[in-house]
Amino acid sequence: MTIILGILTEGLVYAILSLGVYITYKILDFPDLSVDGTFPLGAAVTVSIIMKGFSPLLAIVIATLIGVLFGVITGIIHVKFRIRDLISGIIVMTALYSINLRIAGRANVPLFSKETLFDNDFLKSLSIGYYTDVILLLFIVIIFKIILDFYLKTKSGLLLRAVGDNEVLVTSLAKNKGNVKILGLAIANGFAALAGSIYCQLNGFFEISMGTGTVVIGLANVIIGISIAKHIKLKATTCVVIGSIIYKACVSLAISLGLVASDLKLITAGLLFLILAISGIKKRGVKNDRA
Amino acid sequence: MKTLKTLNKLATLGLILALTACGSESVTKNSHKNTSEVIKIGIGQFAEHGSLDNCREGFIQGLAESGFREGENLEIIYENAGADIGTATQIADNFIAKNVNLICAITTPMAQVSYNEAKKTDIPVVYTAITNPVAAELADKDGNSTGNITGTSDRLPIEEQLKMIKKIMPDVKKIGILYCTSEVNSEMSIKEYKERAKELGVEIVEQAVTSQADIPLALDNILTKVDCLNNITDNTVVNSLDIMLDKARKAGKPVFGSEIEQVKKGCVASMGLDYIALGKETGKMAAKVLRGEKANSMKFKIFNDSKLYGNEKAAKEFNLSLPEGFEEVGR
Repeated sequence: MTIILGILTEGLVYAILSLGVYITYKILDFPDLSVDGTFPLGAAVTVSIIMKGFSPLLAIVIATLIGVLFGVITGIIHVKFRIRDLISGIIVMTALYSINLRIAGRANVPLFSKETLFDNDFLKSLSIGYYTDVILLLFIVIIFKIILDFYLKTKSGLLLRAVGDNEVLVTSLAKNKGNVKILGLAIANGFAALAGSIYCQLNGFFEISMGTGTVVIGLANVIIGISIAKHIKLKATTCVVIGSIIYKACVSLAISLGLVASDLKLITAGLLFLILAISGIKKRGVKNDRA
Repeated sequence: MKTLKTLNKLATLGLILALTACGSESVTKNSHKNTSEVIKIGIGQFAEHGSLDNCREGFIQGLAESGFREGENLEIIYENAGADIGTATQIADNFIAKNVNLICAITTPMAQVSYNEAKKTDIPVVYTAITNPVAAELADKDGNSTGNITGTSDRLPIEEQLKMIKKIMPDVKKIGILYCTSEVNSEMSIKEYKERAKELGVEIVEQAVTSQADIPLALDNILTKVDCLNNITDNTVVNSLDIMLDKARKAGKPVFGSEIEQVKKGCVASMGLDYIALGKETGKMAAKVLRGEKANSMKFKIFNDSKLYGNEKAAKEFNLSLPEGFEEVGR
């Protein structure tokens, strides 16, 4: 049971991030590397605010907003300065490494002695015990998933989807596609920072290296999610959440198979390949627009 | 075509089910096993690294000396996180799911995740290879543990190291240290180095890198400014020791190590901690915990028994002579 709870908690945290990656990668067709920086950014902002004695909720809000800000920066670098998508992400990600260190103060900041979202008197008084983390996370993920679903149906959300599908259409509607891209990146990085904020509160500490590989995990989650969405009649965002949990289940399975440590990544990769091969990703370009 | 699609659909679902089933199966199996007399411990190591491996070996030896022998009355589950926090968390979860009697966490992040995950259970955590447990919030200022956790700290013998360098190179003025900004231990070591160096009248020239990829350029830069290089226990830098030794040799500047493994590889000398001994000490603490002593009432131990390790061949290359009484570890 503990393993499943562990998979769910880890999976759900990364689901928040994946919802963001879904916007950039799948909807905007923009491979956004800046999440490698904004995920730990969310954590860095959170620890520095909590260490100063403010409430964890305030920390989450500010972390998310600062994530949004850096999403906008990536967008501006790409749109206004006409720098390629990958490079804009790399620029912001690289800069954020130093910024994160500055914000957090040092490379590893523990939160064990502070109240966090997952460790506070209110939750203890509810005494749900073991399932607290998962229930809380599920609640958060569902809320943000619903907000995102709702947003994608608004006029602005539809425009966002149009930019990924057909840029010419957006221009012919007399809308600036650049601004729409910036908006999308802002939302995506807001999600990434939110996930980082929640992740460090869950783990009880910030570590500068926690961002390494975030993009890869996010992309894997989204791709697994999308390939499931082809077979199951569920919203793409829901599938992305499920995808995140499956990814973490793969890692966990690789660990519990008791393999040599150095082979862990290989096994994870193998399991991922297996899932994708079986669910058969068809030709790219077939967009899944059930969102 | 349609049958193919249905097939795919079934396969996907099957796989998902298989994954979940695997998870639950291992849980039920393990809850049964726990009734036997064999004690089960999980060793979580954050990264692949010579001194950390020595810690682990020493830990197992220390347990054996206290009567817990692998294969007889002890089962060891060893996992390595490959320097990834997410994996480390899942490793800790996995130990808890397997209902181990104790978790041994090697390095700071591993200890922090294990502590955080094990908080919900009564599984004790024993850590090792942590430079500053107080800064990691695993112990308070007086050394008392903050929860069901205790262990050993590997504070570097910095003063001894500097004195040793001065003895081997009496004219030394500037000592270069390379470190990675992502390693919290390194930052603390550098600070202490600077303080001690001032007392001894030498200058520390620091050079920060952010990843392994920066190291060659950083070396080219720092080697023009210093009389010798000195390593701290910075994992990123130590992992690039070969290139450091190579570049330093070409520049005619000796390199001093921070532990025995580095001297074996070609550093001139080191006042080093014996990580096997550190592990052993930790193993003995773990044995006490397994016998029923409460981890939260045990203060963490600072381990600073240092010994002079030297590499004669490396020293000769730079026309240096090693002080009396060193242990030759060069190959």
